[in-house]
Amino acid sequence: MSTLTTNLVRFRHRLADMPEAVTLITFVIVFLFFSLAAANFLTPFALTNVLTFASVNGVVVLGVAMLMISGEFDLSVGATLAVAGYVFALSINAGTAPLVAMLFALIVSAVLGLINGLIVTQSGIPSFITTLGTMLAYRGIARAIGGGDMASFTAAEKPILFTVLNGTIDPLNNLFDPAANFRVSTIWFAVLAVVLSLVLMRTRYGNWTFAVGGNPGAARAQGVNVNRVKVLNFILCATLAGFAGLIQFSHRLSIDPLRGEGVELVAVAASVIGGVSLSGGVGTLVGATLGVLLLSMLEQGLVLMHLPIQVFRAVAGAILILSVAINTYMSRRE
Amino acid sequence: MSSNGNDTPVVRMENIVKRFGTVTALDGVDLTVNQQEVLCLLGDNGAGKSTLIKILTGVYTPTSGQIYFEGKPVQIRTPADARALGIETVYQDLALVNLMSITRNFFLGRELVHRLGPFNWLDVKEMDRRTHDALADVGIEIRSPGEKVEKLSGGERQSIAIGRALHFGARLLILDEPTSALSVAETRKVLTYITNAKERGLSVIFITHNMHHARMVADRYTILRQGKLVGNYDRDDVTQEDLADLIMGVREV
Repeated sequence: MSTLTTNLVRFRHRLADMPEAVTLITFVIVFLFFSLAAANFLTPFALTNVLTFASVNGVVVLGVAMLMISGEFDLSVGATLAVAGYVFALSINAGTAPLVAMLFALIVSAVLGLINGLIVTQSGIPSFITTLGTMLAYRGIARAIGGGDMASFTAAEKPILFTVLNGTIDPLNNLFDPAANFRVSTIWFAVLAVVLSLVLMRTRYGNWTFAVGGNPGAARAQGVNVNRVKVLNFILCATLAGFAGLIQFSHRLSIDPLRGEGVELVAVAASVIGGVSLSGGVGTLVGATLGVLLLSMLEQGLVLMHLPIQVFRAVAGAILILSVAINTYMSRRE
Repeated sequence: MSSNGNDTPVVRMENIVKRFGTVTALDGVDLTVNQQEVLCLLGDNGAGKSTLIKILTGVYTPTSGQIYFEGKPVQIRTPADARALGIETVYQDLALVNLMSITRNFFLGRELVHRLGPFNWLDVKEMDRRTHDALADVGIEIRSPGEKVEKLSGGERQSIAIGRALHFGARLLILDEPTSALSVAETRKVLTYITNAKERGLSVIFITHNMHHARMVADRYTILRQGKLVGNYDRDDVTQEDLADLIMGVREV
């Protein structure tokens, strides 16, 4: 083998250690493409839209990615998001203080995550099946507590909490003409991404999360409580999904029985595009964040090119498969 | 044996019985490991070697029987209990997480942290340094402690798992088939680590199928067959042929 080929192989292997690097390259290519092809893409309005639309899904993705790294799936996040939204909306409409309603909704979400985690770790049923089941069950709960109807916030005065969760940042938006679309949800997403990334890369808990997903037997033999780590990640994942539901409700002021449907698949797709392994033990939240931003940018860009939404689905699917193909090729030995 | 404390066996397992439902995996087995001794646990597939070791390491709880560690009766309910006593195990497949770095494996479950704000953060630099030094100390050279374990050979992986056990102050090192998937050169290295461990004052239980490897390091043999103890034999009292016959149950010595 020539030195050039050897170096290329070495470079490829180094890239394989950082699958999020591939996501970053894809991200830059797609960004450059829309900058040239879509009119109005390089405007504050369009770019902040990308962030705003990525943020609610992004909060869900962080939990799903972390759980996937610990070797488990959660397909019930979309339904959990809806349950949290209903609990929040109905509590506030019943006169509960908004902050209390928020805590209540988050606790309910955490319990839904705990149920997923306990079923998976205690029964040994694969999380894919378990959470497919709880997805249907939690969706049923959302329908039941909402009476099958949508629930809206109807009072005249919006609580401050809605602004804190997902208000527009007008002083910043008005700096631009036409005005940009920054919302507080982006700040929540960014803060959670940074904090959870640090937890994953720089704490014992993060180390255990990787170990539990990479080789549960080895983790157990070293004294790591495998089930505890998994259950905690299920709880984290569901709580974040619930939080995403609250952020979304604070913006839209309504919730319907179908809310959050499909979010579970977007979350898995964004994680995988971002280099998180389907079999656990590999991935970063930086990658998963890039993955969800990439999907959001794709949607925004194609809309600006006046292409129908079906095209977005097709392109997103193609990028998903391509990402996995590239990462598989990168980590090949020869 | 004198009443001197150093002559107390590291571990004594007495009359261990383990049943899984109606199947009796171990039927009243005894096992003794003396101070600074390499004990080879021999037996064919299904003889009960693994079950016995998993009881000692807290993976299984025995149906009945008693374990003494350094002369004191102990209950070992979890792998963490075993570790707290100083029993370190290197499993053939369950030693390391291949997708993680050497350092992250080395300190898994015992990560070094420093406090900053509300969290304890991993002290990666210090762990890297200690991993490198600790492995160098037992004669294992690694390229970089940040390297992923999947890039290493089978022998290097075993070495790191053994180095880790030695570093964390094991009193008793259990090696479960450490040489079964290794090349000749790598096997020789691993056998050297076993001898080194003994010279450092540890006791070792070495589980193997390979009687040739057993003979190279063992002080004593304990042989199991079909869940029962066949017997204990000093290294010099039996030949390799005797061992083979005892394992298969062709004859008694």
